[in-house]
Amino acid sequence: MNEWLLEFAESIGATSFSVGLHESYYMYAWIESIHVITLMVSLGMLIVIDLRMLGVWLKDVPASKIAERLDRPMLIGFSIMVVTGVLLYVGIPIRTTQSLWFRIKVILLVAAFINAWLFRRHMQSSVGTWDVAPVPPRRTRVAAALSLTLWAGVVCCGRFIAYDWFDCGQDNPAFIDWAAGCVAGEEGGQHG
Amino acid sequence: MSLLSYFEALEASPIGVFVKDKAATFACIEAVHLMALALLGASVLSADLRLLNVVLRDVPSNAVTEQAHRWFKLALGVLLVTGFFMLAGVATKCYHNPFYWAKMITLGLGIVFVFAIKQPLLRKDHAQLNPWTLKLVALASLMIWFVVAASGRWIGFSG
Repeated sequence: MNEWLLEFAESIGATSFSVGLHESYYMYAWIESIHVITLMVSLGMLIVIDLRMLGVWLKDVPASKIAERLDRPMLIGFSIMVVTGVLLYVGIPIRTTQSLWFRIKVILLVAAFINAWLFRRHMQSSVGTWDVAPVPPRRTRVAAALSLTLWAGVVCCGRFIAYDWFDCGQDNPAFIDWAAGCVAGEEGGQHG
Repeated sequence: MSLLSYFEALEASPIGVFVKDKAATFACIEAVHLMALALLGASVLSADLRLLNVVLRDVPSNAVTEQAHRWFKLALGVLLVTGFFMLAGVATKCYHNPFYWAKMITLGLGIVFVFAIKQPLLRKDHAQLNPWTLKLVALASLMIWFVVAASGRWIGFSG
């Protein structure tokens, strides 16, 4: 699995597009800046929705209205996040593949996505009973709190990817090398 | 004392030493700073996009902007505190960094703009105000906070 991922990363890293992204100082910095600033749109809108679901923001507006009206700007934000995120990966594929934080981030993203999908289903089936309640029922609040927690974790891991604390080839504990997917005999050797 | 010596003193202070001592300390403060940035985005974008009639058009804009301002103050508070700690760790670097000063100037402008112009205006009944005034205020606010965030990110690239 890790060998395969490394091969995949190496094949991306060998493309002129990847090299160009990595070598171009300004392009990479611009993409990273867009990725960080779009946080204000994607997570910004998500926070408004989740805080409404927690019953602490815009309590006097029906919950479904907030969720529906902010859905589009949130998804626009997340689309930009995905595109810039993929470009950031393509620019530094090998080191990112073997980054402990990147791996945790991907797991948290999947968890956040599943939580959002389950929440959407829960909302569609039951929102009629609590739409105008200033403070939604417990299950809704738990889902919203979980969503905010997962995304806080995503932000932390995203920021930590930039640091080389646990890069492969260093004197890491065996568990860290396992979790980061370091392949024996290979060193990341690629830095951002 | 010159301005630079204040920055040097901050970096040598216990706060500066605490932040600099371990890379993880700085990284964790950065992560909280980013989370607060997302909350700032939540409040600024919901209020300004409402004023621009882009989102939440069927919710009264007075209600949206008033409630957004509460979260804005919380986000700004966290950003200022975490920002101060980050500065303490790399104060002399920041002193020589043009993007740091660009950010501080726009941040100062932004704070004055929000508390002296935007909020006093938005506390009035929006229906009585010229719709273009509201739109221009929203546009100015979006631009200011975009520049603050963007120049902030750029401090890290040019250090």
